[in-house]
Amino acid sequence: MSILLVEDEEALAGYLKSELGNCGHVVEHVARGDLAYEAATHGGNYDLLVVDRMLPGLDGLSLIQRLRKENTKTPVLFLSNLGGLDDRVEGLNAGADDYLAKPFAFSELLARVNALLRRPPGINEPQLLRLGEFELDRIKRKLTRAGVPILLQPREMGLLEYLLLRRGQIVTRTMLLEGVWGYHFDPKTHIVETHMSRLRAKLGEDIIQTIRGSGYIIRAPQPDA
Amino acid sequence: MRLNQTLKSASFKLSAAYAGLFAVSVCILAVLTYFSVTGGLSAQFRARIRSESRALQSDYMAGGVSQVLRIIGERQRGRLVYGLDYSLWDKNGHHLFGSLPDVPCRAGWTTLTGPPDGDEAPGEQEQLKLYVTPLDGEACLLIGDDWGKVQEFGDLILKTFAWISLLSLTMAIVGGLFLSSRFLKRIETINRTAEAIIEGDMKRRVPRRNAPDDLDRLAATLNRMLDRTTSLMESLKHLSNDIAHDLRTPLGRLRQLLEPARHEQLSGDEYRALLDKGVKEIDTILDMFAALLRIAQIESGNRRAGFQRFCLSQLVSDICDTFAPALEEDGRELREVIVPNIWINGDPELLTLSLANLLENANTHTPHSASITVSVCRSRKGIELCVADNGPGVPAQDTMRIFQRFYRLDESRTTSGNGLGLSIVAAVAELHNASIFAADNRPGLRVGMTFPQAA
Repeated sequence: MSILLVEDEEALAGYLKSELGNCGHVVEHVARGDLAYEAATHGGNYDLLVVDRMLPGLDGLSLIQRLRKENTKTPVLFLSNLGGLDDRVEGLNAGADDYLAKPFAFSELLARVNALLRRPPGINEPQLLRLGEFELDRIKRKLTRAGVPILLQPREMGLLEYLLLRRGQIVTRTMLLEGVWGYHFDPKTHIVETHMSRLRAKLGEDIIQTIRGSGYIIRAPQPDA
Repeated sequence: MRLNQTLKSASFKLSAAYAGLFAVSVCILAVLTYFSVTGGLSAQFRARIRSESRALQSDYMAGGVSQVLRIIGERQRGRLVYGLDYSLWDKNGHHLFGSLPDVPCRAGWTTLTGPPDGDEAPGEQEQLKLYVTPLDGEACLLIGDDWGKVQEFGDLILKTFAWISLLSLTMAIVGGLFLSSRFLKRIETINRTAEAIIEGDMKRRVPRRNAPDDLDRLAATLNRMLDRTTSLMESLKHLSNDIAHDLRTPLGRLRQLLEPARHEQLSGDEYRALLDKGVKEIDTILDMFAALLRIAQIESGNRRAGFQRFCLSQLVSDICDTFAPALEEDGRELREVIVPNIWINGDPELLTLSLANLLENANTHTPHSASITVSVCRSRKGIELCVADNGPGVPAQDTMRIFQRFYRLDESRTTSGNGLGLSIVAAVAELHNASIFAADNRPGLRVGMTFPQAA
């Protein structure tokens, strides 16, 4: 997948470029906002833009706003080193699809990049999500395993739904906090972990795996397992 | 220098303006009095002479010139009583009586200056006002009096007023100088205090006189302002000390971690473990800065623009659902006492953060068997959001200090946390105009905020 990285911090840009490259992405790097605008509008056909907020030439927010005004639908991951409360809202309002505050762990960035690349925005998800013997009805909020209903708490239901919509992808703890709970801060309490262990206990089958240092992934059970 | 300052002072200017105004009004009063008194006097003067003329005319009708001569002769002898001068001529111009100079014999008033008669200022002529009365062409009667008396009276009035206004102006100016110098002295005291404080003597205060006047109130207000400024400066100083101290701890640990790693031969896994530890320390520092930045952002008040109406009961109940499993995992009990359907105006995201901090605070500082109660209710003061536990609590003298940045009980120095969680709660409460409270739960700690009753 081809990614345009717009970042003026050379050291960080070099690190991200090589790491994302190792993960199989083709990364092009520009250090100026105005050059990024040209690259994105003329010629370059990118699957994802990773845009820093503070940029010379044209700042990140304005860059995204301009691109969106010209109907560029390419997903945008917005980076900010302000880490402030309002930056997230501003970034998303400008038209970014996701937001990540610096400093971040690379695994966090990678998970979000993959999520944005695999799920092009604007596609309607089905009402029924199936995985192996499990079937989740998103409207009726019901889960069955081989036709037998399993009773879940609303949060556990949300957790499972979030994972099923991103099956086969690594989902980080922060993504779950934001996506399921709407928390944009990092609680020191193990709320994700405890809810996850309760959900696993109720599912009875180990379809959710923990990826150490990164997050969780949901996969169909292996037939021979 | 000092006089110049006095002359320029506001109070002196005010008293000078009053004195000037007073002088102008005295002048107007003098002019009015002068004209009304001299006018009255001259009317009286003329009326007296006229009535004498009429009386003598009727005497003439009754007894002719001889009768008139007889009467004015009697009058002249009693001059001190009547004070009038008389003269009488016959038609041929022969003087029959009196020594007044000749005037044409036409009825009416005329003025003459005669020789001084002793009551004038030196070198001044006597001024006579005369009334001419023709007596049927047979004779001519002249009645006159000293006009100077009337004028003298007018002059006396003007002189008196001149003295009065001079005296009162002097008094006003001297009084103004006196009062303004007293006033200036007190202003100067305030000024000197301010100068001393600028020089760095923060302990100086404006002396009070305990008199209930404006200046004393001003001094009291200034002193209160200075107290407040001093306490803010103190807390700022403490804050930077605390930041420096709390930053040094994790940085020191990081250094201790990295230093030996340079000299020792470690395996790849050991190095990895070491680096993980280092990253963790760095994350602690970053968290601290994020929390400080967050507090600053909340305190700036910008978030108030995004306030919305939402159901506090629902929000709190959702958060409890989220945190309950984690708290219960360690053996603690989470109880909810939530009055349903309480709505407030505010920032749900920040209130979520605050309640999370309160819950995590209770979780960190209580033993595993503790019971934590979250309550939302209406009280007399407003809407109360409270987290209570039955843990060890906080010493009574420290209860309100727990909201200070970096405040940590000595016993909890070793536990995780940066001492900023409750400061964020305090900042969020402040943003919502809510008051924070912390009290003894007998046993344990009750801590929370009270929102003003929504209208």
